[in-house]
Amino acid sequence: MKSTSQKILGVWNTKTVVAVAIGAALFGVLMNYGGIPVFTNTKLTTAMIIPVIVGAMFGALPAAIACAVGNLIADLIGGWGYWFDWSIGNGVLGFIVGLLPLYGANIDEGIFKPVHAIIYAVACVIGNALAFGVITPIMTTLFYGGELEVTFLQAMAAGLSNTLVLVVIGIPILIILARRNARSTDLKLEEKEEQNI
Amino acid sequence: MKSPLLNLIPGDTYIHKLTGKTKVRTFVILLIYIIMSFDLRLLLPLFIAGIIGLVSLRPEWKTLRYFFIVVAAVNLLNIVLFWLVNPDIGTFWCGGSRTVLISFTKKLFISLETLWYLSIRFFKMITSFLISMVFILSITPSELAAGLYSIKVPYKICTIFSIAFRYIPDIGRDYENIKISMQARGVELDPKKVPLIDRIKQNVLILVPLIITSFDRVGNISNAMDLRGYGRGKTRTYYSEHEEGRADKIFKVFYMGLLVFSAIWIVSRIISPPPSKMWYPFS
Repeated sequence: MKSTSQKILGVWNTKTVVAVAIGAALFGVLMNYGGIPVFTNTKLTTAMIIPVIVGAMFGALPAAIACAVGNLIADLIGGWGYWFDWSIGNGVLGFIVGLLPLYGANIDEGIFKPVHAIIYAVACVIGNALAFGVITPIMTTLFYGGELEVTFLQAMAAGLSNTLVLVVIGIPILIILARRNARSTDLKLEEKEEQNI
Repeated sequence: MKSPLLNLIPGDTYIHKLTGKTKVRTFVILLIYIIMSFDLRLLLPLFIAGIIGLVSLRPEWKTLRYFFIVVAAVNLLNIVLFWLVNPDIGTFWCGGSRTVLISFTKKLFISLETLWYLSIRFFKMITSFLISMVFILSITPSELAAGLYSIKVPYKICTIFSIAFRYIPDIGRDYENIKISMQARGVELDPKKVPLIDRIKQNVLILVPLIITSFDRVGNISNAMDLRGYGRGKTRTYYSEHEEGRADKIFKVFYMGLLVFSAIWIVSRIISPPPSKMWYPFS
């Protein structure tokens, strides 16, 4: 079994690197094309699903990095300017929603029970409140100075729409993925020496 | 779908021929420059330089035009929303004065300061988009990784950036394929014929296979990378990185100068803040 620190930090082998990269690419594209605008620079976007999946399979830190890099890529191809405060905020959110393996949900082996769904929903709410209610405004003042009023409104819109997406779309997708992987639960993978770098 | 934006083969214009190191460093410093300057006098030269850079890359204007229209529309919408949230925002930025031009109600008015602030904001966004377009059009994924590695980013993170960049066109292709096969099964996806709620539902339906196929590919890619010995060494060198030419040296002087200028600008603004937060000629 993976240790707790591995569940949080992830095992940084090639597989994780590739998964994070693909997650980031999906995040960036969905952020741009998979959303409906709700407020300035804020979208009801399906992109938030990606960190959940990366987190469920590889741990919380990979989810956070996928989220942050994904946001940078979205900024790069989106053309609304660069908002590193939001990248960091999204990274924090990715970390919190990516904590799935920590409380026992294991998508790889098909374990996702109603209890996990409830904990996950609570984590989404807390994560959004922390990421966009605390971290992003702090970073906004640090990097850009001012514009707090708009940031708070944006943060509220983003937090609400993210929570909505994470819960309403996230839970069904997690169930689908878990059911899909459950088929292979009878097979046991021999624990191989994993390279930590 | 062929992505017109991301190129995988190095081009042959002046900017294409720079090393990844130069491109990434220049871009990072220009980003700092754009973020720090809410000032037309600083943005205008960069805007002109951006246009020159873009023209020199000889891009496909037809697709670029589409991107620029979308970006302009999105930013205009943002600006209108900004104005609705706080019509008086210009007063805060331009040093306290308020010259009302048109007033609709007591709270909703257009002042010269707000107009100035919002148009500078729009100009800033367009400039930063111009710069990122030049950057994206000129760089290949491996050059991006090499460039990031040269600014001391751990190489696994560099790989994440380059694979992510490389993977974006594949997502477009997969999305098209899934969409076509869904339509073949009789799912209506035409925006004109389907109400919004149904469209969201169908987008989710496309999302599930898109995510599954993408993450299924992780195994293949990582096995291929492992077979080629990825991640064995502590450092990494890049095949795409060539010797620095004359152009790189010119750029080096340029970006170093800009870095020093930006540092002085930011520090001087912290030590002695100017009376108004942005340059405003009409006060």
